[in-house]
Amino acid sequence: MATQASPSSSTFTAPQTQTASLPNRILALIPGILLLAAVGYAGKFIEQFIARYGKAHHLTLPNIEYVLWAILIGLVISNTVGVPALFRAGVATYEFWLKAGIVLLGARFLLGDVSRLGGLSLVLVIIEIALALTFMTFLGRAFGLKPKLTTLLAVGSSICGVSAIIATQGAIEADEEDSSYAIAAILALGAISLFLFPLIGHGLHLSDHAYGLWAGLAVDNTAEATAAGALYSDAAGKVAVIAKTCRNATIGFVVLAYAIYWASKGQAAGVQNKAAFLWKKFPKFVLGFLLISTLATVGFFTKPQLATLGNLSRWAFLLTFAGVGLRTNLRELGKQGAKPFIVGAVGEVAIALITLGLVFGADHWFHL
Amino acid sequence: MSTSIPQPDVKVATAPRLLSLDTWAVLLALAAALLVRFGVLKTVSW
Repeated sequence: MATQASPSSSTFTAPQTQTASLPNRILALIPGILLLAAVGYAGKFIEQFIARYGKAHHLTLPNIEYVLWAILIGLVISNTVGVPALFRAGVATYEFWLKAGIVLLGARFLLGDVSRLGGLSLVLVIIEIALALTFMTFLGRAFGLKPKLTTLLAVGSSICGVSAIIATQGAIEADEEDSSYAIAAILALGAISLFLFPLIGHGLHLSDHAYGLWAGLAVDNTAEATAAGALYSDAAGKVAVIAKTCRNATIGFVVLAYAIYWASKGQAAGVQNKAAFLWKKFPKFVLGFLLISTLATVGFFTKPQLATLGNLSRWAFLLTFAGVGLRTNLRELGKQGAKPFIVGAVGEVAIALITLGLVFGADHWFHL
Repeated sequence: MSTSIPQPDVKVATAPRLLSLDTWAVLLALAAALLVRFGVLKTVSW
């Protein structure tokens, strides 16, 4: 990739000495990606080992999915010895693998299923976003948070966590400090929901579809929503991805609305080209997912090839789940202050309850 | 007397992304799908 210095800028850039070349940047990712693979594979190994041990000794042991093991191993590493600098760039690629995995997952859905599930999800997502944004805004005001921090928390909890916060921060010109508070709150709550959601789902005897829809609607970050779904069952994981993808698809519209709102108050730059803005913010992996799903529907792939693509998607998710654990440093999250966390937590509990109500309603009317 | 020449700020140049991370992920996934479709990547077991 070329590095250009803006001619209008007075800033002198020295690309020869300070910008790593593309091959070097790719090389720098390798240790971290290998760590993701090692942690993820260790999770898979433990799951299989327990199953084999139980079978060999005629014991009924709980089947704990590799997802949970990978996240736990990652959490232990990041919260004890920490992730050394050498690995950090590669570990940060876990979102890249998540998106590649979602695109490949399209092979396991026929377009009819996508439109049925996606259509229902989209209706629920619109209701969820409207309620969540209203409630979080009210809560932020009640707790006396800064208005832009409230906006970031509202967007993070109603749409798609960290990506939405980062997209909104740029659009409304919020402080980096506010954005790091909001991100910390959303990540901490995402980590908690990973463990709570499956327990609640089992406690309420939710079907795979109902649970997946709930996880996709209520868990904020895409990686955590995917993991929370997969922790319940494979089918629930797939539904969670569809519901979450629908939420992600709305990001551009909500960020645009907030950008216009803050610009009207004279606290952010206006949006000149709305169509270009929407395209820039639109998550492209949604289009990739739909393309692969279309190809699968029209018979472009044979049945064994579809199975292979499904497995490739699982490997990509394995790297993602390892990354979820490895990038979660509870001590760092705790340093960010209590108020945004409390607002986020109260909001998340309310959103979880609202979306659970929506899912029960959808289950009643549409028999999920 | 020494002449002080104003030194420009030196910042680490961040290369502009030609494509977003999202788009790269889509391209990688599509490339993998094509490799599977045309038999280069035959089976991937889980």
